[in-house]
Formats: sequence, C-alpha cells, structure tokens
Amino acid sequence: MSDHAHDATHDHEYHSHGKLYFSIFLALCAFTLISIMADLIHIPNRALLVGVVLSVAVCKALCVLLIFMHLKFERTWKYLLLAPTFILAATIPFALTPDIGTHYYVPTAPQIREYEAQEAAKAAGGDSHGHGDSHDAGHKAEAEKHH
Amino acid sequence: MMTHQAKTPLKMGIAIPNSKLGMWLFLGTEIMFFTAFIGTYIVLRMGSPGWPTDVHVTHISIAAGGINTFVLILSSYFVVVAHDSILAQKFAKAWQFMLWTLLLGVLFLGIKSYEYTGKFEHDILPGHIPENDKQAMDKVVHQYGNIVDAKLNATYPKITKREDQKTELDADIAKLKGKADATAAEKQELADKTALDRLYTEYVDMKEHVRNSWSLGFPQSLFDQYRTRDESNEEWKKKYDAWKTDHKAEIDAGTLKELKDYLNADGAVAPVTLHEVNDKVEALKNDAALKPMLLSLQPAHPILYGNLFASIYFLMTGFHAIHVIVGLIMFALVLKKGSKLCLDDATFVENIGLYWHFVDLVWIFLFPLIYII
Repeated sequence: MSDHAHDATHDHEYHSHGKLYFSIFLALCAFTLISIMADLIHIPNRALLVGVVLSVAVCKALCVLLIFMHLKFERTWKYLLLAPTFILAATIPFALTPDIGTHYYVPTAPQIREYEAQEAAKAAGGDSHGHGDSHDAGHKAEAEKHH
Repeated sequence: MMTHQAKTPLKMGIAIPNSKLGMWLFLGTEIMFFTAFIGTYIVLRMGSPGWPTDVHVTHISIAAGGINTFVLILSSYFVVVAHDSILAQKFAKAWQFMLWTLLLGVLFLGIKSYEYTGKFEHDILPGHIPENDKQAMDKVVHQYGNIVDAKLNATYPKITKREDQKTELDADIAKLKGKADATAAEKQELADKTALDRLYTEYVDMKEHVRNSWSLGFPQSLFDQYRTRDESNEEWKKKYDAWKTDHKAEIDAGTLKELKDYLNADGAVAPVTLHEVNDKVEALKNDAALKPMLLSLQPAHPILYGNLFASIYFLMTGFHAIHVIVGLIMFALVLKKGSKLCLDDATFVENIGLYWHFVDLVWIFLFPLIYII
C-alpha cells in the first residue's frame, strides 16, 4: 500500500475514500440498531430472531471485510489466502454436529434430565415440590418487577 | 496499485508488501481460532435444551454489549480515516484519529471490566454455579461454612480444629456469663461471642438438614430418634404401617411419639427445599446480631448449563479482550512517533488497522451470539 501511496502522491492527488468510509460507518450503526431492536421487540419466534440477528451480523462482517479491510479492492490473492481458512473454520461445527445432532443414543446429561423434570413439573401445573422451577420463575418475575 | 507492476521489474509473489501478506496470513489463522470457539459454542448450545437466555439469570447487559458494539464500530471507522489521512499526507489528522481509536479501545475494555465485575459479584463463574436445587443448597451451606470458619479462625487463631474452637467458645461464654462485675468491654465480648455461637449453631443446623435432605422444620433433636426407628422389628413395623394409612393410629409408645408430627404420609420426613434454605438465609441476614457477619452470604439460584455458559462467555470475551489489548499496544507504538509520523508508516498503519478491524469483526459475531441469542 505504501507503493500505492507513493504512486498516488507523485502521479496525481490521492483520492480520499472518506465518503465511502463514512457511509459504511453509518450502515454499521444502522445494522447494530436493527439487532438491538430485534431483541427489544421480543420476537416470539426464536428461529426468526436468530435468523435476523445472524443475517445482520453477516452483513456487518461483509461491510468491514470488503470496505474497511479493503478486500473489495484487492486482487486474486485474497481468494487463495482466505478460502482455506474459511473452509477449515466451517469444518469444525460440521465435524462436531453429529455428536449433538445425529446421535443414536439418548443423551443422559444431568442437565437434560433436570430440564425434562422442570418441563414435566410445569406441564403438571407448576406446583412442584422437589424442583425449584416454580420458585425460580417467581424469582425471575420479581427481578423483572425491579427493572 | 495497477501501475505498480508496470513500473517495477518482474517480481515474484503477490504484489503487496510482505508485512501485509504476513498480517493477512496471521488473520487467516485468527479466523480459524475464533470460529473454533464460536462453532463449538453454537453446537453445544443447540445440544442443550433449557440453555439460560433470561438476562436476569445470566446478568448479561445488552445495553453494555450494544454500547461496546458501537464503540468498536466507531473505532474501526477512525482507523480507516487515520489510514486515509496518512495517504493524503495529513499526518496530524491521522495521529489524532489513531489516538481516538486508542481511547475508544480503552473505553471498550472499561465497559467490559464493568461487565466482568458484575459477573464476579453474582458469582457467575465457571464451576461456581449450581445447576439444580440440591447444588444450590450445597452452595449456600458451603458459603456459610466458609464464613463460620473465617470468624472462628479470627477469634481463635491458635486452634485449628473447628470442634476445638467451639469448645473454647463455649468455655469463654460460660466464663463471661459468670462474671458479676463485668466491664463494658467484657459485656461486648460476651455479646460478640454469643452471636458467634449462634452463627455456628445455625450453620450446623442448616448443614445437617441439607446433608440429610430433611426439611428445616424437622428439629435436630429428633434426628437420632428418626434414624434409630426400628423397621426390622415386626411388631413395630405393623403399628408403623397402620399409622401410615391412618395418622391417628397408635404407634410405638416411645420411638415415634414426637416424631409423628414431622412425618408425611409415606412415613418419611419431608425433604428440604431450596425455597426453605433461601428463606432461612434471608431470615438470618435480617437478624440484628448475625447481620454484620453474614453480609457475604447470598441465597443461591440454580442456572441450568450455567457453568458451560460462564466458561464459554469468559473464554470468548476474554480472548477477544486480549486481542483488544494487543491492538492498543500496537496503536501506542505508532502514536509514540508523534509528529514524526510519515508516509512510510502507511503500511504499518494499514496492517494494525486490518488487525483492529478483525477484532471488530469478532465482536460483530460475539454480540448477537452471546448477548441477544
């Protein structure tokens, strides 16, 4: 880039990208607001919320990568350099997923049993004795009141 | 940049400075480093039904996370402005914008440490979080035990065993009580030691109930009676079974007489509940004599997957914060040049800018993943 700068200052005046950068900055702020709004309006559909905020995150990431990190203006080396890292990065979740997503056995982690007991107690009317979910729910409601 | 190759003789490799290539290769490894964490988090999260999402439970502050997101975006913008200014040979402006970036990085860390402080205060730390009622009760007892030990050790530093300390405490109280012409200091000592004795007694009471998993209302004095109830004796068993179907039925004259009031229909003592234990904590904390000693004792509330959540939270935000600190050191290095900043620094500024944008990029994903979802 210093070569580029050298050329630019000798051959012709350097063209500032200030306006482009500022508009990207505004876009990033707007995207952040969308994420926060999505949280504030309490979207009942969890999948939709996840979809919205992660899409927003990807858009923001593209803005930063392409403009702030100048990838849009770089040459072919960017694909050579970044493709393997992205492929390897994506491999990790895919490699781990079978253990969580497609196992043949019934998971018996104590947390899963606790969660099932809580859900069963909730379905039974919430007057559980051993498990504290009804109490816990009360605690949450109390905390909410304080806010 | 296109003109570059035409002017210079044929050059091997990629037409960018070596340092910039190095930075991009490094960022390639960084992408894999952080996606390993993020990917693992997503997979674990999807395999954990009942993951804590309530911010009142996890003490996650979306406001703090949102402000930090804005702080990093603004600092990223300032870096590109600084780089742009260097290329336009406006070096003073570039220096100023890098200073702002540095200050914003410090602000980010400040907000982050405020959040961390909240986590420490609420003990949202890996390995510290009870995940069910039993663990929550054990945690309260454990906390209480630590307080009692600290108080006894402060009062009797030369005695090591808790039981011996208690014996000494009883002896001291008896001695002070026997004094007819006690001075004001001695009266105060008596009050303090009596309070300590109660603190200890209440602790043992709670500990024994939780250990046996018997309701706090069941008096300790009946523990042995209940334990030694003779269910192997046929005669006794018959009467006991009759009592279980009809509570008014006559049972053994001696053994179960007092016990009767505390047993439920199955003939067992009602189990201790977290609700009882937490209410007891509140009651003890409101007790005038015990209050000053129990300031750090808190009721416990179970958080399902709380430990996994805390591990992931600190791992990801912690590594991110370390990256922020490294970035700040880089900016400090270039800012040190002051008015000597020149066009030759453009590559270095671009490289640390790339690094800084990457730190921003990681946060762009951490914010929705940890704070919103």
